[in-house]
Amino acid sequence: METWDRGILTRLEMRTPTGRSIFLLFLGLLLVLSITVLFPFLFAFTAGLKTNLEIYSSGLQIFPTNPQWSTYSMVWTKYSFLTYFKNSFFLVGGGLVCQLTVTTLAAYSLARLKPFAGRLIMGGFMITLMIPSIAYLIPLYTTLVKLPILNISLLNSYWGLWLPYSVNAFGILIMKIFFESIPDDLYDAAKVDGASPLQIFWSITLPLARGIIIVLIIVGFIALWKDFLLPLLVLPNADLQPITVRLWYMLNASTVSAPSLNEQMAASFLALLPPIIVAVTLQRYLQRGLSVGAVKG
Amino acid sequence: MAVTTKLDTTATLIQPHSRPAWWRRIRWGNQIAAYLFLAPALIVFGVFAWLPILKTILFSFQNVNINGDSSWVGFDNIQRMLSDPAFGTAWKNALQFALLSISMGYFIPIGVAIMVSEMRRGKAFFRLVYFLPTVIPITISLLIWRFIYKPDGGFLNALIGLLNVPPQAWLQDQRLVKASIMLILTWANFGSTLLIYIAALQDIPADYYEAAEIDGASPFRRIRAITFPHLYPTMIMTFIIQVIAVAQIFTEPFLLTKGGPGTATLTPVLVIYRKAFDNGDFGLASAWSLSLIIILGIFSAVYLRFFTRRTA
Repeated sequence: METWDRGILTRLEMRTPTGRSIFLLFLGLLLVLSITVLFPFLFAFTAGLKTNLEIYSSGLQIFPTNPQWSTYSMVWTKYSFLTYFKNSFFLVGGGLVCQLTVTTLAAYSLARLKPFAGRLIMGGFMITLMIPSIAYLIPLYTTLVKLPILNISLLNSYWGLWLPYSVNAFGILIMKIFFESIPDDLYDAAKVDGASPLQIFWSITLPLARGIIIVLIIVGFIALWKDFLLPLLVLPNADLQPITVRLWYMLNASTVSAPSLNEQMAASFLALLPPIIVAVTLQRYLQRGLSVGAVKG
Repeated sequence: MAVTTKLDTTATLIQPHSRPAWWRRIRWGNQIAAYLFLAPALIVFGVFAWLPILKTILFSFQNVNINGDSSWVGFDNIQRMLSDPAFGTAWKNALQFALLSISMGYFIPIGVAIMVSEMRRGKAFFRLVYFLPTVIPITISLLIWRFIYKPDGGFLNALIGLLNVPPQAWLQDQRLVKASIMLILTWANFGSTLLIYIAALQDIPADYYEAAEIDGASPFRRIRAITFPHLYPTMIMTFIIQVIAVAQIFTEPFLLTKGGPGTATLTPVLVIYRKAFDNGDFGLASAWSLSLIIILGIFSAVYLRFFTRRTA
């Protein structure tokens, strides 16, 4: 953990009554805000434990009188969570592999191999950061329906998502800055030993970049797991859809068998667990990764 | 590539001074490797970003069907877009969303970042807690919030009932719906902005505070005279990012309110989606996309100039 040196208040002031009360006021506000922020999670969890009747008139009653744990196991099988979780992981995992391969190779080339017109190409990558991706969604969709030259459709194929997900100018920018910061001596030594560019990339550069790659994986995992519109358009076949897309439509079935609220909440809570587990277990990378990653907005 | 290299070497051997100096300085052997590494990126950017961006502009002046067959129609799409009353409504809504988002959520991360930075321990805990909503898929958080906002027997109405405020139809009332949606968005997103501010606060040298302290400046004076001026560039940056992000608001109105009640949550991106995928009018939808690119492009250009100047 970071060592605390000083903030706006000094150590000395922390011992005075004014300093203490400012500190306690801050702490109190932060705790209240924490409870507010976490409330919807708790709310979904306990609502999933309520009975069918209890939930419709619950109001301020947050905790159930008689927790129905069975709802959770029932929802797990009823909405085929295993299948859709698998779809999501496959989709996100494949997307990350493609994204990182494309990104690291391009960044390495731009940073180290001095390609002709490199600055122009980098500019071309950066342009995609300035144009909101939603603005070219329609031509992207028609491209996916009928791929140029190959004339095949990528609808109902994970490639239809993995390939567009590989477009990650921000990742290229971050990796390029990192690769440029690696001292030249390392490369020169490897070159003298007769290593090829691919060997240097694989056995020297990538191991050094491990930290920043983990950051890109976390940021990418969260972003791809959250994506809604593109999977909805590219995967009309319900059996292939990720959990985030499928769950919404299963829980909003307008038929007579529309699921009750307690089922909805139990299912929602289950579905939000994977990204939360990722965020909690890898939180020490969060500050570093997201203070850069969040800049993209 | 290989062929060019070979030809070039022979050419240099025969006529050593026929090429300009910069041409001879390029080491063509290395260029093959450089471009092989770049090739995957050039292909995916070309097919899935540059081509679609170009096509958005072309489609705006074309009649396009779902298979991509097209014919030129001139400014017809642009004219239809501008004469559609939805154009004014959607952009007015986007502007109102942006203003609401700034007034409801802009200062929260700044204040919270200052408070978190003052904590001796538990910084990581607060950071994580505030960040958690940002990792939740929107569909899931909308399901939960819809239940919190439920008009009869919902939690929020019960809560304001304690203050003797009558129950509200949070998502069905034209006057409330934008603020209700913006509350969800603020909850879901302030955590990532918070991390930017915490990082910016860590960059302020402790000496500045020490100097101010010797001059006898109170803690709040220090915040005003040192912290805020130092955060100012970050504040401009996050302001622009926030406006750009909110102007593209789509999933919440699409899933939660379907643009309603009335047209209260009809946004530009929602119109794009409907024109394209409900009406199959890709040309008109592209004209709308073009308006989005132009309007947000102005904002982005300012932002990117700022960002590059800061990191340089």
